[in-house]
Amino acid sequence: MYRYDEFDHKIVTDRVNQFRGQVNRRISGALSEDAFKPLRLMNGVYLQLHAYMLRVAIPYGTVSSKQMRMLAHIARKYDRGYGHFTTRQNIQYNWPALDRIPDLLEELASVEMHAIQTSGNCIRNVTADQYAGAIADEIEDPRIISEIIRQWSTFHPEFSYLPRKFKIAVTGHENDRAAIKLHDIGIVIVKNDKGETGYEVHVGGGQGRSPFIAKKLTDFVPAKKLLAYLEAVMRVYNMLGRRDNSYKARIKILVHETGETEMRRLVEEEFAKIDASQMLSLPEAELDRISAYFAPPNYENLPAQSDAFEAAKEGNPEFSHWVKTNLVPHKTPGYGIVNISLKPIGGIPGDATDAQMDVIADLAERYALDEIRVTHEQNLVLPHVKLDEAKEVYDILCAHDLATPNIGLISDSIACPGLDYCNLANARSIPLAQEISTHFADLDKQYDIGELKIKISGCINACGHHHVGHIGILGVDKKGTEFYQISLGGSADEKASLGDITGQAFTEDKVVDAVDTIVETYLNLRQPEERFLDTYRRVGMDPFKEQLYAD
Amino acid sequence: MPTKTHLIANGAVVDDTWVFIDDETPLGDTPAIISLDRLKAEADTLRSRNAKLGVVIRTNTQGKTKLGEDVRELSPYLDMLTTIAIDFPVYRNGRGYSDARILREELGFKGELRAIGEVLFDQWSFMARCGFNTFEIDSSIPVKAFNEALNELSEAYQPAVDNQRGVLWRRHGL
Amino acid sequence: MAQHSSKGARFQAVTANRLKDGEVVYFKGNGWIENFAEAEIADGQEAAEALLTRASPDNMEAFILDPYLFEVSESDNGFTPVSVRENIRAKGPTVRTDLGKQAEAG
Ligand code: HEM
Ligand code: SF4
Repeated sequence: MYRYDEFDHKIVTDRVNQFRGQVNRRISGALSEDAFKPLRLMNGVYLQLHAYMLRVAIPYGTVSSKQMRMLAHIARKYDRGYGHFTTRQNIQYNWPALDRIPDLLEELASVEMHAIQTSGNCIRNVTADQYAGAIADEIEDPRIISEIIRQWSTFHPEFSYLPRKFKIAVTGHENDRAAIKLHDIGIVIVKNDKGETGYEVHVGGGQGRSPFIAKKLTDFVPAKKLLAYLEAVMRVYNMLGRRDNSYKARIKILVHETGETEMRRLVEEEFAKIDASQMLSLPEAELDRISAYFAPPNYENLPAQSDAFEAAKEGNPEFSHWVKTNLVPHKTPGYGIVNISLKPIGGIPGDATDAQMDVIADLAERYALDEIRVTHEQNLVLPHVKLDEAKEVYDILCAHDLATPNIGLISDSIACPGLDYCNLANARSIPLAQEISTHFADLDKQYDIGELKIKISGCINACGHHHVGHIGILGVDKKGTEFYQISLGGSADEKASLGDITGQAFTEDKVVDAVDTIVETYLNLRQPEERFLDTYRRVGMDPFKEQLYAD
Repeated sequence: MPTKTHLIANGAVVDDTWVFIDDETPLGDTPAIISLDRLKAEADTLRSRNAKLGVVIRTNTQGKTKLGEDVRELSPYLDMLTTIAIDFPVYRNGRGYSDARILREELGFKGELRAIGEVLFDQWSFMARCGFNTFEIDSSIPVKAFNEALNELSEAYQPAVDNQRGVLWRRHGL
Repeated sequence: MAQHSSKGARFQAVTANRLKDGEVVYFKGNGWIENFAEAEIADGQEAAEALLTRASPDNMEAFILDPYLFEVSESDNGFTPVSVRENIRAKGPTVRTDLGKQAEAG
């Protein structure tokens, strides 16, 4: 894992002090709310329905046990005993008081964490594949370049007041778990013909009101030149991005209106100048320094097969189910990647209590080489667990309601905070996730249905990724009452696609029925081995529509 | 926008000898800041003028076709210009930061680069890093507060126009 | 965000969030209280405008954020907010009934 040096410490500490000054000026009345709002937003502080909300960055989703304990401590001391892990690999606290946030941030800084650029029209927290460094067949650990991008983008003087927010995601694997095509910039680590490692850059993806899949602007940029390339994209955007309408201000609209070819030309032209100046050419020594932090941890030399693990599966069908859904093969013999579901049946997707966070921190320390990951599907991961010890880990997870064997299944849905917390919401999201999960609680049924990703947003901003849900649900408001639009066939992986809307929206009490109808229709139509998404792509919307709007 | 401003240069309040002149008013022989349109239209006569000349670059918030004026259009005239003022219509509109860097780094402008418009406390240090060297700020703000704000963040990761090299490089003595 | 009041709304109250901690507050008399049940209710559009004006003095920004009117309706046991949103603000998250005003009340 990356560790701060004195420069990183200084930068984060300066920021805490600066924000303390800003909060003091606001509370004393020296600063108006208008002037203060963008400052608090740049420090991750929103005003929600009931209270302030603080969003803490978890760069590329990696935390240590010490950091996780701090997140638990903050939930206890400054909040109401829980936190919400988000689709952007952040954690949100729903109740902190403004005047205590500077103290909170100071405590966070002591474990090398911050809330910098978790909101506002700047470059946000960089996200990456949650299996980074643990999965086989990875070209390079995406966290290396993510950390470099994090540093380069932190307090970037030119790009802190962009037309709109800007999100970057990185994957180093052909299976995209970071939804890179739905980001303002998506980076795929690749190898060229000569076997050199470099970066493929996709630009202009996004969700919100007008969703777009990103366009690939270049096949290959070497590490040394990547910052120059990113700076070129950012400058073109900052100069030409629309500022007249916030719904048209994201780079996706610029790419769409300018056209892919012209956008590429503009970026290349800018890149040529920045590259020629050599200013941003990344020193080899810095690349090496940061890479060293992500060197593989000290794995033990273990046989690929663990007798203890096999025996535990034999003797315990529940454990064996959990292994099937929640444990992913590790690149190192004798290890596995453990997914911790934050989606207990009927629970609030992504919420974890302070006690659960402490348990997970202990598990990471004892069993997982001190690492934890946050996934963009609002779950957690222990990336390096010995198969020999998987059963022990499982037992402890079970005791804390953290072992629901449902990763990728219908009850593993994503939901944004929605109208229960969010100031922009049209409708609630969480209760729907809870009702759907309860309706499909039966595990055998869930296994039968197979992979099915439900994603729920409480408004068109699409924080719950509904556009890319296999089944997407979007809350709309009709005269103060909640309605929900359903879409089918979206996907966020390497074959990204946007869902199609089924038709008229449903009232809250009809949504679960509608989902049930969709699932039944799929079960009737599917061919052997077909997932929901495959069936949908084969048969299209009509059969679903017929069933949904039959009467 | 503040009703009354003072000009800060080199960490002190300075007398502003410049006057913004609109397109209809004839230019006298005192330092004058004019529009880009006028500069382009009258460049030939302006060349033989005997007083200092400046230009203001306006950023627009209306309509996508009017993002704002393009600083690159200044390149044939840079030798005539002592001052370039860049307007921030609202602090949220950060196009001027790129304008400044393009002028300094790409076009090599060495003169006065002045931030005007909504130029607030928490933007000053970013502006300075992008190459602004004078600031029109609310005259109720003491220069001491200005100087402190510039130093609130003492380190920077990335290079810009100021002489900070960027932590990513400085770590290696570069 | 939805409209907080419909066109012909009869009863309205004024709400805001408190600067220091974001707490939902309601206007009453010449100050702010935390409990919706005690909020001052204006009958008719004119009374509503007057209430909002009273709730928004020049120095208001020093401790209260963005006061606005929202519609309420009369029922047997007093007034209730009309929209789902204002009901949730008045009580707390529907998915965590142990939190927010609903928890303190009960
Ligand atoms: C609760 C307070 C929140 C507010 C006020 C908020 C606000 C917004 C807004 C305004 C947008 C649309 C931006 C645009 O299209 O330009 C957006 C998009 C998004 N937000 Fe949130 N959000 C909140 C919570 C969350 C949470 C909890 C998550 C993660 C679970 C999240 C993740 C995202 C993502 C992934 C997108 C869409 C992707 C994109 O277009 O960038 N947000 N949010
Ligand atoms: S999608 Fe809408 S309701 Fe949900 S968190 Fe985002 S802004 Fe709020």
